[in-house]
Amino acid sequence: MPITPKPHSALLIVGHGSTENPDSSTPYFDHADEIRRRGLFKEVHCCFWKEEPSMREAWYLTDCTDIYVVPDFISEGYFTQDVIPRELELTGPTTTVRGKTFHYCLPVGVHPSMTGLILRRAKEVAPDIDPANTTLIITGHGTGLNQNSTKAIRDQVDLIIASDAGYAHVTDAYMEEQPFIAKWDELATTPNVVVVPFFISDGLHSYQDIPVMLGIEPEVGPAASQREVFRHNPYHLREKTLYYSSAIGTERHLADVILDQIADFDKELKVRS
Amino acid sequence: MSPTTFLEQSLANGIHRIGQIEVRATGSGFQLFHADDLALVDQPDHGLTVHHDPEVARDISTYSEDGTYRFTKGQTNLKRGWIMILDSIDDTRRALDHFYPAALGLVAAQRDGTLQIETLREKLNRQTGMYRFARNISDAGAQQLVQEVCGPAHQCAKWILWKLDAETPLDDSEASRFRGIPGNLPESEAIPLVCREACNHFVAECRKVSKAEHAAANPGG
Repeated sequence: MPITPKPHSALLIVGHGSTENPDSSTPYFDHADEIRRRGLFKEVHCCFWKEEPSMREAWYLTDCTDIYVVPDFISEGYFTQDVIPRELELTGPTTTVRGKTFHYCLPVGVHPSMTGLILRRAKEVAPDIDPANTTLIITGHGTGLNQNSTKAIRDQVDLIIASDAGYAHVTDAYMEEQPFIAKWDELATTPNVVVVPFFISDGLHSYQDIPVMLGIEPEVGPAASQREVFRHNPYHLREKTLYYSSAIGTERHLADVILDQIADFDKELKVRS
Repeated sequence: MSPTTFLEQSLANGIHRIGQIEVRATGSGFQLFHADDLALVDQPDHGLTVHHDPEVARDISTYSEDGTYRFTKGQTNLKRGWIMILDSIDDTRRALDHFYPAALGLVAAQRDGTLQIETLREKLNRQTGMYRFARNISDAGAQQLVQEVCGPAHQCAKWILWKLDAETPLDDSEASRFRGIPGNLPESEAIPLVCREACNHFVAECRKVSKAEHAAANPGG
């Protein structure tokens, strides 16, 4: 959906970030850079929970008085519903904080246009295999603490099954709740398996933890940017052929999903007013 | 005042340094480079890598020379050997926001009297997950930690503005006295780096101390 240019507004992309892994925040800056190049906003900034600038510092980043906030998160949950509103002092979809008006959009991961990104990524990592002989696994963190954290992935599974992508089997799997990604070979019903991590960055979880769970790494390795080769797909193990992609958030087109969320916010705003 | 206007006015008033970065207005644009490369810059074969894209500032500032991840950008281990030649004040401000996130806006707000400072207790009480335990650190433990983690002796160039809580200032030390300007420049020549809230590295260290204090008080487990 095209977005109306906002030459007097700022865009604030909110991410998690990490004090341990420098690759964690790379996609957020890439998305900001991509959107900045399109000249749609006066300013585009990022802020984080675990890196600088912090969310509490975000107010000082810009002198724009109209600010769109898009959580670059993959699901609705504790961070998007509790932490970000608290840190930015937001009380509703639109909140004025000390003279600056913030519009709080939904996180990127829950937008329907994510489906196209997952399918594109799955095709990129395994371009020559027949979906009819392939299981597509979308994997996330999962936590018993918040059911919403897996909803975005389950929604995508349903959308892909309903699409004409043609995968023999599509399923979700998680690091910390059932079905476990460590049992990917039991979840797969076909000889070929494509695993797409539903994370924003190739940080600790998707690049270092999950490969160990899949069995393609013996132990947690160095950060992605510290390696010369990203992955050696495919992997022949557990009597299957496994393709493991980079995180969905590293897809350049995620910038479009950020803009889609803003367009949807504006549409809703019109409806509300 | 907007961060960009603040930068513009500061440069016009003779400011030429922020953190470890020398900032120069050249008439046709701006130059940024590591202050320790000042002697090299004007030599014809300075050997510095030239960049024109402000976004490169993020790459330059991510790792120190020895490959350590600079998770706190106030660290005084910025890489040398580069120069950024930028066309506009907006690009210069963007590059500086990568080198020192939000630093210009924070100081501008401090000068305007609008900067909201967050005490350590407020920061710790908002932590979640495994960092929730950090809030149990004693005042004495936190005071000690400031002297062991903060300040130029520990590679941080920021001026600590926060207190432990509204009533408890930091104990006097090199770290608490430091005013955010490395390199002994006068305040008339540099924009200080300010610390309006304890960084996440400090929070992680608070958690460690808090756990150690708990273990010491409960030797049986």
